Amino acid sequence: MTDPDLLVIGGGPAGIAAAVRAADAGASVMLVEMRPALGGAFHRRPIEGVEPWPIGREGERRWARLDEGLVRTGIVPRLRTAFLGLDGAGAALLEDRVAGRVEACHPRAIILATGALESVRPRPGWHRPGVVTAGGLQVMMKETGRIPEGRILLAGSGPLLIALAGQLTARGRPPVAVVEAADPFTEMVAGLGLLAHPRHLAEAAVHLGRLALARVPWRRATVLEAITPKGDAFEVRLRDRRGRRTTLEVDHVALHDGIRPNDHGLPAANETPGAGPIVVSAGDGREVLGVVAAEIDGERAADRALALIDGRPEATRDHLRRLARERHAQAVLARVFAPARPLDPLETLPDDTVLCRCEGRTVGDLKVLFTGADTPAGREIKLTGRFAMGLCQGRFCAHWVAEASARLGPDAPAPRPRDLTGDRWPARPVPIAALAAVPDAPKR
Amino acid sequence: MTASTFLFRGAAVPFRPGETIAAALTAAGLRTFGLDPAGRETRYFCGIGACQACLVRVDGVLVEACLTPARADGRVEPAEDRHDRS
Repeated sequence: MTDPDLLVIGGGPAGIAAAVRAADAGASVMLVEMRPALGGAFHRRPIEGVEPWPIGREGERRWARLDEGLVRTGIVPRLRTAFLGLDGAGAALLEDRVAGRVEACHPRAIILATGALESVRPRPGWHRPGVVTAGGLQVMMKETGRIPEGRILLAGSGPLLIALAGQLTARGRPPVAVVEAADPFTEMVAGLGLLAHPRHLAEAAVHLGRLALARVPWRRATVLEAITPKGDAFEVRLRDRRGRRTTLEVDHVALHDGIRPNDHGLPAANETPGAGPIVVSAGDGREVLGVVAAEIDGERAADRALALIDGRPEATRDHLRRLARERHAQAVLARVFAPARPLDPLETLPDDTVLCRCEGRTVGDLKVLFTGADTPAGREIKLTGRFAMGLCQGRFCAHWVAEASARLGPDAPAPRPRDLTGDRWPARPVPIAALAAVPDAPKR
Repeated sequence: MTASTFLFRGAAVPFRPGETIAAALTAAGLRTFGLDPAGRETRYFCGIGACQACLVRVDGVLVEACLTPARADGRVEPAEDRHDRS
């Protein structure tokens, strides 16, 4: 394997834009993607024989442009290849899952473009099989074209719920309801800020129009309190803005409480030449600004990386201006989708509510840690409490455990999610045999 | 054309070319994919290889079912088969 100038991790819009930009500037580029296909969350490609998911004409144009860039530059992505981490000598370890082996790669710079991760707030029953993330449901729909049989409920908060509901409706399978903790219609002043972002407004209008036509209830200022199995289905309990509770019976629950950078277990940024490979983050993995910003940020990151390794000029003023615009749009959306009422503090949920999904650790288990004389620190919460100790290494619980711990032990410094997750890699299973067989790659 | 299948716990599961193991098992009506090493039911959740809740063994190797394409005549087993062998 020839070591590239630039290794790009992640084949979504940020990674593809970065790879194409760098290759256009004359750098040698390796683009790796963990899945069997490029695309990322928005541009996710369908499997053979399945129609691409409708993403609007502008989205299709953007994908065509990214695809054309790959063809023009001759970049052949390495699919099903997972980035495991940087070893002590600064080598990037890549697991080739087709060949079943781990390779050491010595790029001069690395761009991390790993996209976003969904936040899902714990509530009773959220760990049950059959409860998925809204993004998880979307992955399956976009790749296979199939929507699971039965009644689907979307709940939580954020624009993705509306988008997914609109897409389900367009496919003739409207959800039973969309449960939204915010009340976007009362946030009129904040909402007016969206007038400056017609792309977002137009998209919302399309989805909301579809939901209205199909009479899908958009239950705003309402929270999903609990999910209880009922035979093969679920009984979900909702609480509206006046505190009134209702129940619904559904077959599938898709939860979503916003998105955050997928930066778990990744090396820290490094902009110091000579101190190992340059590491630059791009796209939603750096800052969640959405699919349009991801492309812009990918180009910015490529410029930055090449400036640091080769002293090439950065042409990023226009990029930064366009990113600022997307940042403003996201800030407006965050205000529009702020919870209508304060959400129940996690430590007030029933004691048997699971916080750590992997280890099955509950609210009650966490509270017990705070009954002793000393308030436990983040590391103790992990080591004695086993929170964030399981297979996902805290990706889905560290934020919540840190939040609840800060309230349970107000006398001590609040633990950071990072205290719970730690910086260990790899954060996914790797066959020991494959790892042991890594050849000592020649130094550049 | 006969559909391709892989074996999950010895039973043939059909899949379409390019489909992940998680998608095929879900289409076959399965909500859980057996137990994980901690003894918890594995299941599809995030779909992007982050939550590690859908781990299965493919020819003995532990992988995320949501990232791994199904392969004709492949053998897929639960991550941990000790506790629930019937």
